[in-house]
Amino acid sequence: MIRGSCRWLARSRWSMLAFCLPMGGVMVLASALGGQLAAGVAGCAVLVVFGLAIALASGSETIRGLRGDGRDERFAQIDLRATAVTGHVLILAVVTAWLVEIAQGHSGNPYQWLGALAGLTYVLAVVFFRWRG
Amino acid sequence: MKNLVRTLRLQRGLAQGQLAEAMGVSRQTINSIETERYTPSLPLAIALARYFGVTVEEMFDDQG
Repeated sequence: MIRGSCRWLARSRWSMLAFCLPMGGVMVLASALGGQLAAGVAGCAVLVVFGLAIALASGSETIRGLRGDGRDERFAQIDLRATAVTGHVLILAVVTAWLVEIAQGHSGNPYQWLGALAGLTYVLAVVFFRWRG
Repeated sequence: MKNLVRTLRLQRGLAQGQLAEAMGVSRQTINSIETERYTPSLPLAIALARYFGVTVEEMFDDQG
């Protein structure tokens, strides 16, 4: 039942909002803990407005794919490629930032462990998907 | 990959949207297959071939 509900939500126009709302809540909580409640509320508002805009926007394929109700096997492949590109850009940024940090005589943190995490995750993912077939 | 999807669809008098609905994919996916920008998964290729009553080999030409 829960699984069915999750599947319905993932393929509905409200999926992005369903992601943005709890993320906004977590952002408010973290900001409040850090003594920056106003910044957290502002960030949460931006997320909720973004989620609402995606939910209420009418239908280009990109919008429907982003929010979930227009997903099919081709969009799943597009999603996979877009995720890979995003990962590559992030890894490149982390490695560049790490090199800049150590060139400036700093420890390289937090970029050092972020880069290590990315490398380890990649290797483990290759092992897992190879094993899974 | 070259294919007969557009030819067979037009023979049946179907719009891309109608075929897409029957296959459970988006209209843009049917358009991408017809214009050879997207190679469908094996399940979708089989579903398309069954829908038009031909074999997958008849519908898709990997030599093209």
